[in-house]
Amino acid sequence: MRDPNAITKSRRERVEITLLSTPAIIIFLGFVIFPVFMAVYYGLFKWKGFGSPSSNGQFIGIDNFVLILKDPVFQKAVGHNFFIAVMSLIIQIPLAILFALLLNQKFKGRGLIRTLIFVPYVISEVIVGTGWSLMLQSKGAVNAVLAKLGLAGADWIANPKIAMWTLLFVISWKYVGFYVILMLAGLQSIPEELYEAAAVDGADFWQMQRSITLPLLAPTVRIAAFLSIIGSMQLFDLVYIIWGQYVSDTAGTSTMATYMVREGRLASNYGYGNAIAVIIFLISLLVALLYQKFVLSKDLEGGLTESK
Amino acid sequence: MMRVKTIGAALLTCVTVLSLGACGGSDHAGKDGKVTLNFWHISTTASGKAYQENLARKFEKKHPNVTVKVQAIQTEDYDGKLQTAMQDSNSAPDVFLSRGGQKLSDMVEAGQVMDLSDKLSKSVQSRLSDTLSVQKVHGKQYGVPVMLSPGGFFYSRDLFKQAGIEQPPANMAEFSQAVQKLKDAGIPPIALGAKDAWPAAHYWYWFALRECAPATFNSTVKTKKFEDKCWTKAGQDLDDLAKTTPFNEGFLTTSAAQGANSSAGLLANHKAAMELMGSWEPMNMMDLAPNGKMDDLGFFAFPEVSGGAGDQSAMMGGSDGYACSVNAPKECVDFLDFIVNKDNQEEYYKAFSSIPAAKDARSAVDNPTLQEVLAVYAKASSMSLWLDTQFGQNVGNALNTGVVNMLSGKGGPKDIVKATDQAAQKG
Repeated sequence: MRDPNAITKSRRERVEITLLSTPAIIIFLGFVIFPVFMAVYYGLFKWKGFGSPSSNGQFIGIDNFVLILKDPVFQKAVGHNFFIAVMSLIIQIPLAILFALLLNQKFKGRGLIRTLIFVPYVISEVIVGTGWSLMLQSKGAVNAVLAKLGLAGADWIANPKIAMWTLLFVISWKYVGFYVILMLAGLQSIPEELYEAAAVDGADFWQMQRSITLPLLAPTVRIAAFLSIIGSMQLFDLVYIIWGQYVSDTAGTSTMATYMVREGRLASNYGYGNAIAVIIFLISLLVALLYQKFVLSKDLEGGLTESK
Repeated sequence: MMRVKTIGAALLTCVTVLSLGACGGSDHAGKDGKVTLNFWHISTTASGKAYQENLARKFEKKHPNVTVKVQAIQTEDYDGKLQTAMQDSNSAPDVFLSRGGQKLSDMVEAGQVMDLSDKLSKSVQSRLSDTLSVQKVHGKQYGVPVMLSPGGFFYSRDLFKQAGIEQPPANMAEFSQAVQKLKDAGIPPIALGAKDAWPAAHYWYWFALRECAPATFNSTVKTKKFEDKCWTKAGQDLDDLAKTTPFNEGFLTTSAAQGANSSAGLLANHKAAMELMGSWEPMNMMDLAPNGKMDDLGFFAFPEVSGGAGDQSAMMGGSDGYACSVNAPKECVDFLDFIVNKDNQEEYYKAFSSIPAAKDARSAVDNPTLQEVLAVYAKASSMSLWLDTQFGQNVGNALNTGVVNMLSGKGGPKDIVKATDQAAQKG
């Protein structure tokens, strides 16, 4: 015997869900899924972007995709992306945890320092890029200051031996504030009682951090690392502004996105460019899925999966 | 069952939204003979914007049935925006800026541009005879030029004098001597904005113009195969020049026109003696020089290359013009005629400080540097379009890449040519 009320309830719920989620689904399908399929379609053509690919382009199957994967310039760019992703994690996450621990202590001027650390993150990428590129030029402010101190400067941007480290420095400078804020938020959620209990048991400061803070901060660290990896995969603006499309390649800071803009848009090869976009999408998707499966699975339980 | 309905509802909403979006087309000619011209330009400076607005209002006064809708677009956004808009004749502008070359020819092949061959007035054809060819595709006229910007070396007279250079170099041997003299005097000889790549690639274009016979040049534009030895020689010439380290320190991170540290800024502030540029250079200087202008800015043609098979007095440059989209109303042609009449071309010079395309308006040019440019232009045998405009962005992009690679020590003259072959596979 079924309860008639239960049926109406579930039906109403379904109508509600349909109504409320439809706009989001339309936008998602129209502006995310549909363009992905269009990009795959365009990627199958040699096409200049004028007229339609079927009449003004030339169907070449998967040639574009093969060409991209075989292009050493693209392979180098992918290597740079992964190097940036790994190095960003190694540099930014520990630094952010240290800053967060420091800023979680009570001292005078804490609010001011918290704000200052967050400021670079708020400034737009274009301004950060322009500012650093002017300061780091061979005849820029950094080398001028070094010369005043009696030190020899360097070509921070164009020298392939240094350029990548310059980029990592600017990225870290720009984004570490964001991770500090994330970590601070994570620290707030750790109950004070645990530290009190540890203190009663005679644990010192570092023991407390290692045994209480780090394990309880782990979900925050995993999310921060995820954001950092995705950011590294999509990195474009800073490289584009500081190095430009062409010098980034010779200096060794090119990324998949700068390759796409150069070989797609600047070369006006829209078929080829779309194929690059698809490959970037697949690489990012793969990285994200693997990370979610192996690292984030615990944190996302019930959120992305059926609740138990 | 519910699932099917849900999907059905979603689809229905999709269709509704899409059809709403598609309904909003534009209509050109109304029932009462009223016509709207959508006019796209890239003049975003105050004086440039005012000029285009004024142009539109004057035309409306002459043709009361026409409304000209003016839209100014940032240069950087222009190509992408135009390309997208032209995909649908409803969203396409009626009058739009065209630089000729491969891009115009691609648009023509996609059937997006109006053929003006029998439509332009006799007066326009004779007064603009030396620049009309830029806007031609397969022998047909598709646009009307409004300006020309020949390239060459812009230099500081004072710094040349300071280094003991009596007169601007006429050939590469004299040019090398001048570079050496400037270096001896402690003056960085050449400002180069290689961060933007194209200023560096321009050296290769010019050497190619001097090394390659006009016939080779023309056949390569068609085949896009850089097989003749002269193309490799052009790269060799540039490599030889680069080996004398004539460029400003850090030229790889120098941009072309942004701020005092750009190549134009270095020249404007007397921190370098010369720069290879198009004739927009004097106008760029206005914003960058300490007191708003550079009094000692001179001009000389790209030096002759001894033994080169190319035309030693040919110039290279660009020429912007306007074209009508294929479905534009017939008033569009009148508008093009109007843009290049003598008065408007003289005004054009005043607003943009660039050389008008109409020959009878060139007497308005009163900037001494541009007068020098015109004098060299008058002696030149021909003016070739910038190589990247001629060959298209795909080849242009490959040349940019190859030249920047060579200048930063990764690759040589042969790799530049190889890069164009690889580019051919991509598009």
